[in-house]
Amino acid sequence: MFVPHSEIDLKKMFEELSISSLDDLFTHIPETLKLNDGLNVASSLSELESISDFEILESKNTQNLICFAGGGHYDVYLPQTVKSLTMRPEFMTSYTPYQAEISQGILQVLFEYQSLICDLTDMELANASLYDGATSVAEAVSVAINKTKRDNIVISSGFNPNTKEVVNTLLDRNKFNVNYVDLVDYLFPEDYVFSQDDAAFVVSLPHYEGSAQDLTSIVHNAKAAGVITICYADPSMLGILKSPGSMGFDIVVAEGQSMGSPLSFGGPTVGWFATRKELARLVPGRIIGESRDSNNTKTYVMTLRAREQDIRREKASSNICTNQTLNAVGSTIHLSWLGPEGLYEIGYQAIQKASYMKQLLTDNNFNVLNHTSSLREFLVETKKSAEEVILEMGSKGFLAGIKYDDNQILVAVTEKRTKAQIDNYVQSLMEVDNA
Amino acid sequence: MHSGGNASSLPLVGGAPEPTINQLSKPGRRASRFPKLDVPVTEINNSAIRNDKPSLPEVSEHDLVMHYSRLAHRNFAVDVGFYPLGSCTMKYNPRFADYVAGLNTFANSHPSTPSAFTQGNLEVLHELEKFLIEITGMDNATFQPPAGASGELTGLLIIKKYLEENNLTNKTDIIVPDSAHGTNPASAKMAGFNVVEVSTDVRGMVNIDDLKGLVNENTAGLMLTNPNTGGLFEENIMEISNIIHENGGLVYYDGANLNAIVGVCRPGDMGFDIVHSNLHKTFATPHGGGGPGSGPVAVKAFLKEYLPGPIVEKNEDSYEWYKPKLSIGRMHGYHGNFLVALRALVYMKLLGKEGLDTLGSYAVLNARYLSSVISKVIPLAYNEPCMHEFVATVKDLKKSHKIKAYDVGKALLDKGFHSPTIYFPLIIEEALMFEPTETQTVDTLDDLADTLKAIIDELQGEDVSLEEYPKNLPVGRPNELIPAKHLTVNWGDFELLELTE
Repeated sequence: MFVPHSEIDLKKMFEELSISSLDDLFTHIPETLKLNDGLNVASSLSELESISDFEILESKNTQNLICFAGGGHYDVYLPQTVKSLTMRPEFMTSYTPYQAEISQGILQVLFEYQSLICDLTDMELANASLYDGATSVAEAVSVAINKTKRDNIVISSGFNPNTKEVVNTLLDRNKFNVNYVDLVDYLFPEDYVFSQDDAAFVVSLPHYEGSAQDLTSIVHNAKAAGVITICYADPSMLGILKSPGSMGFDIVVAEGQSMGSPLSFGGPTVGWFATRKELARLVPGRIIGESRDSNNTKTYVMTLRAREQDIRREKASSNICTNQTLNAVGSTIHLSWLGPEGLYEIGYQAIQKASYMKQLLTDNNFNVLNHTSSLREFLVETKKSAEEVILEMGSKGFLAGIKYDDNQILVAVTEKRTKAQIDNYVQSLMEVDNA
Repeated sequence: MHSGGNASSLPLVGGAPEPTINQLSKPGRRASRFPKLDVPVTEINNSAIRNDKPSLPEVSEHDLVMHYSRLAHRNFAVDVGFYPLGSCTMKYNPRFADYVAGLNTFANSHPSTPSAFTQGNLEVLHELEKFLIEITGMDNATFQPPAGASGELTGLLIIKKYLEENNLTNKTDIIVPDSAHGTNPASAKMAGFNVVEVSTDVRGMVNIDDLKGLVNENTAGLMLTNPNTGGLFEENIMEISNIIHENGGLVYYDGANLNAIVGVCRPGDMGFDIVHSNLHKTFATPHGGGGPGSGPVAVKAFLKEYLPGPIVEKNEDSYEWYKPKLSIGRMHGYHGNFLVALRALVYMKLLGKEGLDTLGSYAVLNARYLSSVISKVIPLAYNEPCMHEFVATVKDLKKSHKIKAYDVGKALLDKGFHSPTIYFPLIIEEALMFEPTETQTVDTLDDLADTLKAIIDELQGEDVSLEEYPKNLPVGRPNELIPAKHLTVNWGDFELLELTE
């Protein structure tokens, strides 16, 4: 299938090569290695036959769960305009834009992507995407290590456990210490003392638990000790939160799913990475720059290429090659569609709806652990085990949240949730957790 | 020209440069609309809240659509023309896979949804694992690595952990051919290994004598593609893998070139212990302008417990996540690029036995045919039967007419073809590396060869200025030094303007 060769084509090609069968192409491969009976897989299907197979497979997932889960991935509304433009085949089926003359489209979109992220985070230089939020944190930590030549990493404990695990995998634990700092009342301690051995300070805005604080003075203290400060931001809240750059951070990374990508069961999404120009040569991945062609026409190109693996090989700033370009295209178009008012609205409505939900839960005798300091995401205590509650809420049509602890659920609210959905959720939770 | 598949209609719109979305912005315009807030307003007191609106463009929806559509018109793509791009496997990406990837819960499942509610998604990964281990001859797989380089790193971390568990921490050397992709040494370095290069012999294969000399008690493993980056099948692969295994090392298969051998032979039967595949190459998922990819890693059973977890396991009547006991840990925040994996499953099911058994054969047939017709225009780097790709060289033309591989690539762009991969592998002078894939017709291959011939003739002309190529595209050759020197990497930078003034 998708192979165009007709009998006439084959005859012509075989004649050119003086062969009489496809097998004759492989006389140089040792016989013992050849698959004589071919592969043990099912027969070919036409598209028409396979439609129902895949629709049945899809129907095995529980349908239409109303999403109150977050933890980095949010059920933010993704407009059709953004989806259809992102999936234009000229973007979707193109290769990495090494040939600038025939890739100005994708190059300009990526230049706009970098610029939008710089504007939004108050940074000077963004790369053209990393794999996801979790791997972006690990890449940022590597930059800090390379810059400072120190070997201690200070990370706020307020991170998705999966993100912590990725950092742990990607960091050589024989060489570097990771020091997790516990949050106090769901906030990073203002009086934390940084040491001259600390390479990086990594903190999430808001914290994984949903609480948020102005991090300016903590960042100031870290920088005074020569520490590279890294903010893991929630893009869909950047319209309403102070920018990481204004708080003084050196590097901003993010899980960019909520800007331009559907939830996608976690992938493909996109990792945002932005920093200041002085760290440019340590930045992982591709960077697009504006240049001029031989006629002095504005031309976009991949730049600072001497950091990358195809040129620097084992001395590269990262091994990343293929990244998440199409999801970065999605972020660009979604941010442009939203504009300042739209991005603000997403954050504002999420916080307002979460406030309403927290109050409703409290009024119905649920304990919201970080009621005051949280914004759109918060922790609720349950009497039954969190796992049990989440499973039972599923049968009532809700993805109740993420298990945080044995009896604690992390609940997220986006602008998509309605008052009726929130009311029904709380009603269902009362039924489930009091039963 | 016969094929129409060569984009000879020059689809890229030229003319004036497209403004940035920021230049199209006017205060007060907007595309987005939201429902009115349906809950009572509460006062929000939090020190992290900002007092102003973020800085973003303000554009109408029509302006937005026209802008990004115009940019799409300025981009070459598989759906537009032929990419004979070596090492990249730019084959046709079936539209049907996009339809399936858009189905409701495939596209919209939150990644933390419990397995009880995502049995369909887990079945997708399980079904794909079955295809993948059959095609590669392995036993278990993870889909966490989001790209090939991440797959390489996963494999190397597995080797490292395996050596640690077996008290072989003295083994610190990873052997990589001098013809390897840059990601190989970069990944090995990231995993904490020393990189040792093995040379290539005159036939274009791994130099076995050199390999024997490099292997010792410190050898942790070898990374190899087969066929190698010269497009040649390593005929002594069993001897190579035996040399590494006899010294207690593991053998890693870089799946960059898997397309050549699907249905022909399997890495698992050649002695490879770990294999990564690029679903965005071999299994026809779209490259997206540079990603997303998917780089699943498959291993032999003795390495299963080292895989990044969780992986999917089938119980009697359901699928569950299983966390391998000696896991190297997560390589991705959740389950890797799930929708890319799903598209690959769609492709494999459509191809089925008939399509997969002959996939490598047709890929090799197209490459062998193209190498035969192109060799009449440009000499090949190796006098060996190629697999799915081959390398030609213009080093003689460089000597005689100062024509570089770069110039040939640029001139091809003008004629509606993507350039082949140039200057790779690094060990071949003025290399042009062609990979046609199995989805192109013989007419398109003939057109490429004819066009190359015309270009070589044209470039050798008396008054030709090579720098002028390409001539018919929205922009000409870029000055790649300007941004590197002045870092104009966002629209807030004005240093370029200062420079040009």
